Formats: sequence, C-alpha cells, structure tokens
Amino acid sequence: MGFLAPWFLAGLAALGVPVFVHLLRRHVTTPRPVSSLMFFERGTQSSTRHRRLRYLLLFALRTALLFLVVLAFADPFVRRSTGGSSGHTQLIVLDNSFSMRSGTRFVDAKRQALDVLAAKPRGDKAQIMALGGQLEILTQPITDDAQLRSALESVQPSDGHASFGELGRAVRSLAETVHSPIDLHLFSDMQRTAMPANFADVVLPNNARLQLRSVAQDSTQPNWTVESVEAPAELPDPKDSRRSHVRAVVAGFGTPAAVKTVSLVVNGKTLATRKVNVPAGGRATVDFAPLDVGYGFNRCAVKLDDSDNFPADDASIFVVRRSDPERVLFVHAAGDTRSTTYFGAALGAAAQGSFVLQSISAEQTADIDPSRFAFVVLSDTMTTPSIFEHTLAQYVAKGGNVLIALGPGTTRHTPIPLWTGDVQDIHNYGRLGNVQRIGQVNFSYPALGQAQPGRNNGGWSDVKVFYAAVVDPARARVAARLTDGTPLLLEKQVGEGRVLLLTSGLENLTNDLPLHPVFVAFVDHTARYLSGSERVSGSRLVDSFVELRSKAKPTGVVANVEVIDPDGQRPLSLSEARTAQTFRLSRAGFYQIRFANGRDAVIGVNPDRRESDLAPLPSDVQQLWSGSSSGGEPQTSAAAFDGVKNQPVSLWWYVMLLALVAAFAETALASSYMGTQREET
Amino acid sequence: MQRFLDPVVLAGISSLDLLAKTVVDGFVAGLHRSPDFGFSQEFAEYRAYTPGDDLRHVDWNLFARTERCYLKRYRGENNSQLTVLLDASNSMQYTSGPPNKMDYARFLSASMFYLAIHNQRDAAGLIVFDDEVRDYIRPSTRQGQLARLFAGLEHATPHARTDFAKPLQHFQNALHRRGIAIVVSDFYENPETIVNNIAPLRFRGNEVILFHILDPQEIRPALRGSALLVDLETDQKLEVIPEYTRTSYRNKIDTHIEQLRSRARGAGMDYQLLVTDQPLDLALREYLTLRQAGN
Repeated sequence: MGFLAPWFLAGLAALGVPVFVHLLRRHVTTPRPVSSLMFFERGTQSSTRHRRLRYLLLFALRTALLFLVVLAFADPFVRRSTGGSSGHTQLIVLDNSFSMRSGTRFVDAKRQALDVLAAKPRGDKAQIMALGGQLEILTQPITDDAQLRSALESVQPSDGHASFGELGRAVRSLAETVHSPIDLHLFSDMQRTAMPANFADVVLPNNARLQLRSVAQDSTQPNWTVESVEAPAELPDPKDSRRSHVRAVVAGFGTPAAVKTVSLVVNGKTLATRKVNVPAGGRATVDFAPLDVGYGFNRCAVKLDDSDNFPADDASIFVVRRSDPERVLFVHAAGDTRSTTYFGAALGAAAQGSFVLQSISAEQTADIDPSRFAFVVLSDTMTTPSIFEHTLAQYVAKGGNVLIALGPGTTRHTPIPLWTGDVQDIHNYGRLGNVQRIGQVNFSYPALGQAQPGRNNGGWSDVKVFYAAVVDPARARVAARLTDGTPLLLEKQVGEGRVLLLTSGLENLTNDLPLHPVFVAFVDHTARYLSGSERVSGSRLVDSFVELRSKAKPTGVVANVEVIDPDGQRPLSLSEARTAQTFRLSRAGFYQIRFANGRDAVIGVNPDRRESDLAPLPSDVQQLWSGSSSGGEPQTSAAAFDGVKNQPVSLWWYVMLLALVAAFAETALASSYMGTQREET
Repeated sequence: MQRFLDPVVLAGISSLDLLAKTVVDGFVAGLHRSPDFGFSQEFAEYRAYTPGDDLRHVDWNLFARTERCYLKRYRGENNSQLTVLLDASNSMQYTSGPPNKMDYARFLSASMFYLAIHNQRDAAGLIVFDDEVRDYIRPSTRQGQLARLFAGLEHATPHARTDFAKPLQHFQNALHRRGIAIVVSDFYENPETIVNNIAPLRFRGNEVILFHILDPQEIRPALRGSALLVDLETDQKLEVIPEYTRTSYRNKIDTHIEQLRSRARGAGMDYQLLVTDQPLDLALREYLTLRQAGN
C-alpha cells in the first residue's frame, strides 16, 4: 500500500473544519437575550444527547467525505503479487507438428505451456497458437484463463511440417496490430528442419521477446524412416518388369549403421520383405518387384519392421491403381502422318505411359464419342465435323481435356476449336531465317514439370521453332514462350475441362521438338496431366492441396464432390461439397475423393519426411534467435513473470466512488435536518 | 390609512410628536363622526363665584351686564385625567425586530397623550418606573404638557428590573383625582402579584387598563437548536432546547396571559395584549371606549 501523490495528504488538515463545526463550535454558543427566563426550563439530558448523536452522524459523514477526497487525490495503490497486469501480450505457441509425436515431446510441451498459462498475470492478455503444417490461431488476445486453457488443451499433434519462418511472419503481422510488448513462448522440439534457409524470415519485431521452451530431451536420438517410395500410380500390367516395381529409400538420422527389415504391404498383406544395410546416418535403397496388385485402387505401404523411438514415420503409404491401358484419341489432318508417329512413339516410350494411341483423321470423327478416351489430341486440325465439334465441346465442359497443336495447316484468322478465339497471325520463322528457340518455360506447370531443369532450360532451349501461330493469350495461362515472347504453350479452362494449346506442331516440320529427348518427357507429363491419373492415385504430402473442381463458381448443374478422410469421416459440409475448389490433405492416411467430373481417386498421404530428422537447432542458433534476453537458457514458468509480480494497482477510482456515496449520504442527512428546521419556524 | 399605524413604519419616525400626530390623526380620520364629540366645547352651567375660584373662569361679559360674578363652566372641564404608568425595566428592550417593546410602549404612550390632550382636552401624566419611580410628570392640561410628556418618554430608558409595588404606592399617593390609569408593561411577574399591586388603583374610582406588551418571539419563540438564553433583567443564563419552546413554553406563556387577563378583569380592570407587530389602533380604540364609558 502506498501513495502515488503523497503530497496531497496535506489536505487532511481540512478535516479540522468539520471537527471545529461539529465538536468545538457547538460549545461556544452565543448567548441569546430574552426578556425573562420565568417560563423557560433547562433541556433534558436525553433529548440533547439524541440531537448530538444525529449531528455526530453528520459529522462522521462529512469527515469521511473529506478524508476520501484527499485520499483519492493522493492516489493510493496496492501491489498485487498475482492477478495484476504487466501490460504484455502473452503469445503461447505450441508446436504440434509431426515430429512432436516422438516420445513424450508433445505431452511435455503442452504441460509446460499450461504451467506458463497458469503463472500468467490475471490482467495480461494471452493468445494461443498451434504450429503445425499451418499456424492455427486458436484464440484472440484475451484474458479469460478458462478459455485459454481450453484452447490449449484442445491442441492435438498433427502430421504437418512446422516452419519457424511462418511463425516469424505471423508474429510480425501480429505486432502491427498489437502495440503492447509481446512475450512469445514457443514450446517446440526446435527441429533444425523447421528453420528456414533465410534467417531473416524468423527475425521477430522489436516489441516481441522470444522465450524458447525446448522439449527435445535427447538431441542424438536415432531415427530411421522410409524416406521416399517410387511406385507407379497406374499399373496396367503387373508383369511388366519395367514398371511393376517399387523402390523405397530408407534413411537414418543420427543413426549407427544397421540392418533394417523392410516390408511391402498391399491392402494389408505383406507381399515381400527385404533386409537392407543402412549406413550410419545414411540412406539405402530397397526394391520390390514385381508389384502384384489387383484391379482397382490398391492401398500399399513400405514399412520398417524394426520399431524405433519414433514409430510414426516408419511407414510410407501410396496407392497403385491397376487398370487397362487408356485410349488416347489423336485427330490429325488428312495428310499428316508425322505427328502421329512422333507423338505415338513418345507416348509409348514414356516410362509410365499407360495409354494406347488411337489415331484418326479429322474427317473420320463424325461418330466418335470423346468421352471414351482419356484425353483428345487435335493435331493441325482446325476443322472437324460439326457433330464431333459439338460432342467435343460437351466432353470438355464435363471435365475432358484436349491438346491442340497448330501445325503448318493453320492459316491466319482461322477459328481455333474450343479456344473461343482465332489465329491472329502466323510467324514463319524458317522462311524468314529467324529461327526461334524456347525462351521461357514454367517448370511448375504439370506438363512441363522437372525437378532440376539445368542450364539448358531442361533441354527446352535447344529446341528450334520454325513456325508458330500467334493467338490471344487472354484468360489463358502461358506455360512456355519463345525467345521473341510468342506464347508457345497455353492452357485455358473451359467448363470442368482443360484445353492445352501448342502454337506449333507435333511433327518435325514446324519445330524440331520431336527430335529432342525432352519431347518424350513432355508427352509423358502431358498425358498424365490431361488424363488425370496423377490426381487419382499415388501419394502426396500432408498439407498439399487437391483440386476438386475447375471453377470456384460452377455453372449449370452443380456436381458435388466427396471427400472421405483416413478416419472415414466426411470433412466437407454439404455447402462446401457444392462449392469447394480445393481440399487440403491435413492428415496422413488414405483419402477417398470423388471429383466434380465424376472420377474417383484414392490418395495416400504421408507426412513430410523432414519431420523425421529430429536433430534440434544448434544452441548458438537458438541463442541468436531468442536474443540475449533469454540467454538461451530454458526458463522456468514461474521465473517468466518475475518482472511483473508486484505491479502497483491504483485505487483512486474506488476511493472516489466511496466519496461519492458519502457525499450523497451527507446531502440526504443534511437536507433532512434543514427540513426539520423549516417546520420549526 | 392603516399603514400609518403600522409599528414598523412608526419605528422610522424619530419625532414622538410627529409620530403621535400621525397615529392619532390617522386614527381619528378613520372613525365615524360621533355626536358625543365636541362636548368639551359646550357650555354646561354658571356657578356663583366663591373666593378661591380661578379668576380666569369668570364670565366677564356677564359681570359687565349684571355686575354679578359668575363662573362659566364647560362640560369639558370635567374631563378625565390620564396617567400612563410606563414600565422601563430591562426586559422592555427585548426585540426580535423593530420596534422593540420599549419603543412600542413609547409610541403607544405618545399616541395616548396626543389623543388625550390635543383631541380630548384631558389632563395627562406619566410615571416611568422599573423597580423604582424613575420619572413622574403630573397630569395637567397646561400649555406645554404634551411636550413635557414626550420628553419624559424620550428619556425613559430601560433600566433594572420590574417591581410594581413601589411605583404603584407612589402613584396612589400622588393621585388625587380619579381618572384613567394605563399600565404599560410586559408583566413578567406572577399575575396574582401584578393584580394585587394594581388593584388598589381601582378602589379609588380609577379606570385601570393593562396594556400587555409582548414581542412575537416571546409568544412563539423559534429556536433552531439548543441555545443559551440570558435574562435581560437578572443576567441569569439557561440552556434550553427547541423541543421545550415548541411545547411547554407555549403552554406556559398562554397560561400566563390567560391568568393575567382573567384576574385583571376579575379585579375590574381592562386587559389588552399588544404584540409589537400589531397596529396601535387597538390600544387607542380601547382607550376611547373606556373614555366614553363614563369618564
């Protein structure tokens, strides 16, 4: 207890006024002359005492009023040991990434977070976040301890990959709206793989103080995992020795050299078991062939039989779909045989090509139903029978995909089928002696995807283009351009389907692409992309997205999508099933999906294998991140709030409230006395 | 017209002469003219001169015609003799607002004297007393009597305490003719004692009027709290409380007034309570009524 403005206590001298008025002045009564006292008598003692008592109550009220007013100006305060407010915002972030499933890391982290929350000053605001595959904001900055505790207890370990860079961005964003100091408590195993390559991504704003609470008990804890699995998503023929095999990579993090037993499990049955020598902290490859699977979707897994301290990452799942080879409709001009030859050869040479090419000329397409084909290729075919053109348009609108190649038969101002535009110009580079090469390639585009393109632009820069049509790229995605900027490969969404437009031909007359090895990869990727086989099987990583439908706002009859998660639950509501365009695969396991175009898929989802590397951040990096205030030493939860323990809390408001009550009571009492006097007169 | 008789207005008039003239003229002008007035101007009878008679009353016209000496007597020469006994004790200076009781008594007495001498041609005298006789002006109708009476009133200052025994004894010794005796006092004494002391005046054929002068605060005192009261005559102090003044005191003063009235009337005296905030016409009317009754 103290006073913030003790000099105002000098005002207590004013208490002498009511003392004088009530206790001293009443004894100095001015004598009042009267003609005679013969009719007067001395007042009885009881009556005088009663009056005196009434005045003493008024005296007490007036004294209390003066005392309280002076006290309020002196601004009394108390120091609250708990329940006060430090003015800081406590940001409690609990790492619930996949690696936190190891041992008791998650349980320990949650317990420590709850301890910190319990030691939080009552007046401080706090916010709970969960750092998994995405940073989940579970509460707003609030002071309700029960709600904060409930939010913290509701956090469960996820299968996502944590990123401290995302945490840094979130805190920087939060600091723009919260101007009070932020105490960031991060409860994590401090995985090294969670740290971004650029340290600037994790730098916190000036008003944020980071306190790292590491729960990694043993930094040298060994862990083996199935790092990757290479298996065909589509398998037409299990006896095809080229494709019917599974290759898995077993990796060890901080492990000694060991012999591990690896099994291939298909639909719950172990098909094969291999022993592999895994070097210390290294990797080993194990092959399973042939892959004998039945028709339909086969849920497969490669497992390590020897369990370690982190058994959750000892298996990698994937889906293999066995089906008959799909047919591809290749429509070419009447005199064009080269494109069929090159495209068919490339499609057959593709490692995972599960397609059979059916080549017909444009004049023969009148009674062809495109819906029976995986996708359609229009090679140098600007005009087709109207009935085929109509059925092809319906095919695309319902989700079918078409590749259009503009060969030498293309003329200016000719309408392009399905493209809603015509050829604006023709660039005949060969005739002009200005042969173009492919300048820009978007390797993130599925049909052009390459992991490491290299200096020659993945082989695309060696391709010479002699002839290219110029089209309007409006509302289209340009995946590749020539060196003069002319779009070479474009994609446009039409209904539920896609139309890929190659502004040059598929033969070797308009370009020499078919003569380059990159053409095979291009055809392979394009075939898988347009057939959708990439979407319906195989494996994905946790927190990747699946495209459920082409448009966010579908037109016409709306087809529902359906998603069944690994637990057999439907995570999408009915309204979401009608409108959702993408879906995040947030958990590890097998997802069953029915797309808007009616195709079914089963996808195996695995956690990011970076989570299997349990090595924590070096201590110097932790110190650098948390700054010099924490010193890199773990702090106890009680010590975290030592600086805010005895905060002065002003009481002037309550004192003024009491003074107001005393003022009202004094007014009422004094008024009652004056009322009596008026009656007397 | 009433405003001229208002004591508050009269208190602003410094001259008793002017004050009395104002009061009486205002009072008389408000009365209906009566045939009884003017009797003192009317001839009554002739009486043969006897030695010792005042030669001023001889009808020299008749003596000239008849050589007989007769005295001309008027009815007015038998007028009353007015004597005012003015209490000048300390208690008479009490006031709760102008005028105080002493001033009110002065106004009253001056008005009586003016009415008696100037209008009625009565002899008028004054006795100022407290516990002793402080001043005595013999009743007379001589020239300058009114001025003497007014001077006597001016010099009458409150002093000492009231004692009716001695002044009345002196009055009885000095009174040779019957007339009207007016006692002006606040009568802070036992009613029985007062009446016993004043009653002998009545035995000599005098008409006695008691004008009881009181301040409004003496009848209905208002105390806002317990107060220390000081007796103006004895300097005795007493602490009293408002509850007492609202109940017991009022009963006592009412009883005192009633007893004084009843005992005075029982002794053949007239009694009139005059409060200092009342006009003076009540007292004048009382005097004239008694004057007409037979004096």
